[in-house]
Amino acid sequence: MIRYTLTRFALLLLGLLVASVLIFLTLRVLPGDIAHLIAGVGSTPEQQDAIRERLGLDRPLPEQYLTWIGGLFRGDLGTSLLTGTSVVDELAQKAEVTVPLGILSLLIAVVISVPLGVLSAMRRGRASGTGLSVGAQTLAAVPVVWAGMMLVVVFAVWLGWLPAQGFPRSGWSDPWAALRALILPALTIGIVEGAMLLRFVRSATLQAVGQDFVRTAAAKGLTRDQALLRHGLPVVGLSVITVLGLQVAGIIVGAVVIEQLFSLPGIGRMLVADVAARDLPKVQGELLALTGFVLIVGFVVDLVHRVIDPRQREAS
Amino acid sequence: MLRRTALAAASLLAAGLLVLTACSGGGGVAAPTSPGEPDPDASVAVRLVLEPGNLDIRETAGSALDQILVDNIYQGLVARTPEQDIVPALASDWTVSPDGLTYTFTLREGVTFHDGQALTPQDVVWSLTTRRDTPAWRDAARLANVTSITAEGQDVTLTLSEPDSSLLWNLTGRAGIVLKEGDTVDYKTKANGTGPFVLTEWRQGDSITFERNDAYWGDASGAAEVVFEYIPDNQAALNAALAGEVDVLTGFDANLKEQVEQNGDFALVLGTSTDKGTLAFNQTSGPLADKRVRQAIRQAIDHDAIIEALASGQTQYGPIPELDPGYEDLSDVAPYDPEAAKKLLKEAGYEDDLELTLTIPSFYSTTIPQILVSDLDEVGITLDVDSVDFTTWLTDVYTNHDYDLSFVLHTEARDFENWANPDYYFTYDNPEVQDLYAQSLAATDESEAADLRKQAARIVSEDAAADWLYNGASVVAVGTNIAGMPSINVNERLNVAEIAKSNG
Repeated sequence: MIRYTLTRFALLLLGLLVASVLIFLTLRVLPGDIAHLIAGVGSTPEQQDAIRERLGLDRPLPEQYLTWIGGLFRGDLGTSLLTGTSVVDELAQKAEVTVPLGILSLLIAVVISVPLGVLSAMRRGRASGTGLSVGAQTLAAVPVVWAGMMLVVVFAVWLGWLPAQGFPRSGWSDPWAALRALILPALTIGIVEGAMLLRFVRSATLQAVGQDFVRTAAAKGLTRDQALLRHGLPVVGLSVITVLGLQVAGIIVGAVVIEQLFSLPGIGRMLVADVAARDLPKVQGELLALTGFVLIVGFVVDLVHRVIDPRQREAS
Repeated sequence: MLRRTALAAASLLAAGLLVLTACSGGGGVAAPTSPGEPDPDASVAVRLVLEPGNLDIRETAGSALDQILVDNIYQGLVARTPEQDIVPALASDWTVSPDGLTYTFTLREGVTFHDGQALTPQDVVWSLTTRRDTPAWRDAARLANVTSITAEGQDVTLTLSEPDSSLLWNLTGRAGIVLKEGDTVDYKTKANGTGPFVLTEWRQGDSITFERNDAYWGDASGAAEVVFEYIPDNQAALNAALAGEVDVLTGFDANLKEQVEQNGDFALVLGTSTDKGTLAFNQTSGPLADKRVRQAIRQAIDHDAIIEALASGQTQYGPIPELDPGYEDLSDVAPYDPEAAKKLLKEAGYEDDLELTLTIPSFYSTTIPQILVSDLDEVGITLDVDSVDFTTWLTDVYTNHDYDLSFVLHTEARDFENWANPDYYFTYDNPEVQDLYAQSLAATDESEAADLRKQAARIVSEDAAADWLYNGASVVAVGTNIAGMPSINVNERLNVAEIAKSNG
């Protein structure tokens, strides 16, 4: 187990290193000159050079990269070129919106997909099972933006139950208002991601039905559904945990789109604005933080999987 | 896992580009009058499109700063009204010597900055001198003619090396902003001015909040609080309006008039603006160096169809929009006439085989390129559209002049100088125009200055130096309980001091 953990951890670090190089290089080949953008249309080359020098953009790429990575080890993701504020502080502030939004979306996705997925597998061949399956297929294909628009039109514009956009300026000091602002965005992500998850749960359940131990349980007198629920579901749970790790990346991407649509001041919207403004240190820090988060979730999922799956435990 | 992550990162980047798709509309006249009694404690929420990168009024470029910070937070000796008239601000009065070389301003007494410090004549001298001598500060060059700035009592005197008919106008903008000498405020995220509002909060990526300045020297603002909400997407803005979450929408789309007015809580207002949809021709070499080709392109374009597609704005056939001095209707110079265009192309030797590329920043809607492609196809010109990131446009078109045709919405008021500058990306070089413009600057009489510009503008249009696809409108949707919302040129300047909200 220890050896396994260390190997996984080494892979995690390697992944982060590769990601950091990729992020750094990708942003450097993006067309457009930040110095020009800051100095503005109509600025002189001298003004742009001065800005470039002040920001350290005139130094060789390896040096810029090493400076950035050096800062990382001190927990310093750099500072914004435009406002001079620390990227870590900004991320922490925007996380107040994005993290609850992500958790809520994930919860909604799981609550929708697991029971319905299992049900649809158990009812396979019957009208209700097929209906669920087709419904999920359709929902999974719906663009997240369109789903969001529809929810806004119904619940905010027609019924007036929930806000159409924005996040209260008082933040979480009024938890109910803050939560209300996140319900529609989370539903939007949750439904679309949940529909994808539902299909996965369904096929995992179908697989479990065919397993020897489920058949044995059925042979010992349980009905097929009883055997599945009692002995098959733990196996389904394992696969779902693995997929949830991947789902986190999907939810982050979803948050980027949804935060635009609902004008939520979260990490996704900040990232988009920073890309447009070519605030390279900030985009770099944000992308690395997000990538790191996804990689760490993957790492944790691997470990959890190992701990709770008796078959894997014995193998080690 | 890593692959999925890389894809996630790529989609994040791609999504980043989406933010720019919201494009802005134009400015206007006073909005519908409000029926109820104004509530002095009201908070008014105003939707804006473009958020500033930071708030540094000294150095940071971009009309997103000027739009809300000048007039509301920061002030100069003089200010401009939405109708583009010059009015007193921190100076209660001013005189100009007959030779146009000496400007004397009388500074108001009892003015304080938001942090409580008093405004002194020395602050004005320091602000203008520092502006002029610091190239990194915006518009420093606009004070280049000013040789000395001195104060005596409450009088501040500017002495010029030569007359400059644009000086007062320039002082209503960044060049004239008065700051506290030696102020230690963090200009990037905070502000300290003399205006009717105090900046109380900037939630990046979300909103900027102004509160009434109770110590203001002039009339108190109509609303206790104004919140600018940055909502790039027009559909999201529409939903916010319909759900009653914002009171005013700026930069809106006139095609959504019916939707926003459907339940009677909003009215769409179109105001004039100085937004010029400019189709630039790179005329240094190649087919576009031939004036007949440029004229043919202008006559091949159906400008009325563009206005119809935008559902707002008006045609403009020369470099000066109606709001600026020197405007005249130049529609006779390039009337829509595809047959004449074909003839011109034939004369120039480009019958049916001319291929050109249009470079256009990706945040503009596809309406304009679509119309251009089909109109030009009609006369035998094949137009390729190259939609690029704005920073790429800056590098390729603006800096390197590497383009055939380019489209950008130029929003700045009184920017005729670009036609008198052969190094500008317009690549237009006519000594006669440059001379007329220099004369108009040196004129001491305003109507004479305007007249000289009018002559120059006609030549620019007759040379087919570019095509002006449309003069945009300020498209604003205003809540029916809101009064005092300006509507002219609000993308450039939005003075919110008179906005008031009633409960009725």
